[in-house]
Amino acid sequence: MAALIHRPEYAGYDFGPEHPFTPARVEMLLDLIRCLGHDVTPIAAPAATREDILTVHDEAYVAMVESLDQGIPDLEADRFGLGTPDNPIFPGMDLAARWLVGGTLHGARMLMTGQERRVLQLGGGLHHAQKAHAAGFCLYNDLAVAIRAFVDHGWRVAYLDIDLHHGDGVQNLFYGHSQVLTLSIHESGHYLYPGTGHIQEVGNGSARGMSVNIPLEPFTEAGDYLEAFESVVPRALAWFSPDVLVVQAGADAHFADPLGDLALTTQAFQALYQRIFGLADAHAQGRVLLTLGGGYEAQAVARVWTILYLTLMGRAIPERLPAEWLDRWRHLLGPDIGQDLHDPESAIPELAGREARARRNRDVVARLLDSVRPYWI
Amino acid sequence: MLVNEIMRKPVTVIQATALLGEAFHQLQAHGFRHLPVMDQGRLVGVLTDRDIRFATSSLSPAPHTADDPVSLAMSSPVSTADPLDPIEDAARIMRDRKIGCLPVMDGSELVGILTGMDLLDALMLLTGVTKPSSRLEVALADRPGELARLTAFLADRHVNIHSILTHPGADARVRTVLRLDSNQTRPLAEELRADGFDILWPRPKPWQH
Repeated sequence: MAALIHRPEYAGYDFGPEHPFTPARVEMLLDLIRCLGHDVTPIAAPAATREDILTVHDEAYVAMVESLDQGIPDLEADRFGLGTPDNPIFPGMDLAARWLVGGTLHGARMLMTGQERRVLQLGGGLHHAQKAHAAGFCLYNDLAVAIRAFVDHGWRVAYLDIDLHHGDGVQNLFYGHSQVLTLSIHESGHYLYPGTGHIQEVGNGSARGMSVNIPLEPFTEAGDYLEAFESVVPRALAWFSPDVLVVQAGADAHFADPLGDLALTTQAFQALYQRIFGLADAHAQGRVLLTLGGGYEAQAVARVWTILYLTLMGRAIPERLPAEWLDRWRHLLGPDIGQDLHDPESAIPELAGREARARRNRDVVARLLDSVRPYWI
Repeated sequence: MLVNEIMRKPVTVIQATALLGEAFHQLQAHGFRHLPVMDQGRLVGVLTDRDIRFATSSLSPAPHTADDPVSLAMSSPVSTADPLDPIEDAARIMRDRKIGCLPVMDGSELVGILTGMDLLDALMLLTGVTKPSSRLEVALADRPGELARLTAFLADRHVNIHSILTHPGADARVRTVLRLDSNQTRPLAEELRADGFDILWPRPKPWQH
């Protein structure tokens, strides 16, 4: 079993109707879980305080967020990544972001007191937020605040980021920190936002080898993805032997995602989740803190994260989607939704260039291991 | 622009068992500063002129001599590049690590070398990628106003452009690569296509219509 964290205030983290990071995704998720007959009673965590935010962010940045939140215009906003199409300014954004950070931090505290071993925060995962900069839909870095709390508690933390995009904010905030191992598997930054996450970003100083990036070719499918994951992540965790595993479980590596080019299926996500829980048991004392993250095709993310929930809880995966749920959300589901929770078999056609992609992905993994393994002793 | 378009080849290498004296003469004879070091066909290090000067300096507590093997003075492990890496990524790696070259590997084969000088040659075509951004590649007709039409489109949507580089494509059109401060480049690309632009990347997904 595991604890769930969520509260209605999370829906206030809303950049407006045109923006892809919409709170409707999580509402659809909660409703789907409920319609499948599961009694979801999440824990409502307190908001993070200003002091919590300042454990990872600059005061000047937080002050700018607060002042824009109050409707005070500022020509300097751009310099902090605020007021862009990715990070529009909205009233109440400081508190809205602190609710999300508070949930992730509360999950961390439940693990530290030993009250729980598995926690799923149904929100957060704002991995692009930088020390003094909003970026990629992310205001405050909830993951980094939680990791900082674990580190202050004396724990070694492994961070695993399975979002489509490189987890640049978390990586940067702990780049020279020898108590934190960051692992990110993502679509290559050669084209995709944020443009980083290359294999050569291995960490600084005493933390060399503790930043690990697995960039995959656009259109990479489940087989190659899971092979790359398996080649790197288990041995990194076995070597590092963390006290806890923090997972950013973005769902935008799904083939239907409108922002990205990876081609995972729901079946691949299920296998990935099972493997992650197995690795947490084997190498992180069974302690795992998961957040949501990216994922912008509503019908796909609701199904993917429901599978995350069911896998986490050790429940069977039902075949069908409930009619009640389909009816209620029809307006957001689009024409591609079928009747089933899983993707249909052969959801994507045979893709050209599969061999070349596989070879390049394997080369990248081999080169990555060559460059980090000397430090894993 | 990709690494394999500007890298030097073939590459002059030296064996790990060779002596520092030989390496010194080889660097001088060719006017090089970097020698990839090979051991049984595998790249194991890079020996730079600076490595030799430090290793053999009389100021060093235990100076090496011309008769010591290259492997004692070389830099290792080596950062490498792939022939298909965009060159702005290679430049950033070299700057971050403060290194002067990247051996270029195609699988396990050394196929070229990229130095800081090669990157200076490309400077007019490239700018840095130090901020979170994504890449949009467009083929523009080679006539006045096309780039303005593209940038006006982005300005209308308040999308900030971190860098633009253009170079002539093989088909008499202008290859234009923009780094945008946006995590929404794929939807942008779809709008641009609808507006008549030829977008080379992001491509439409092969499984979607």
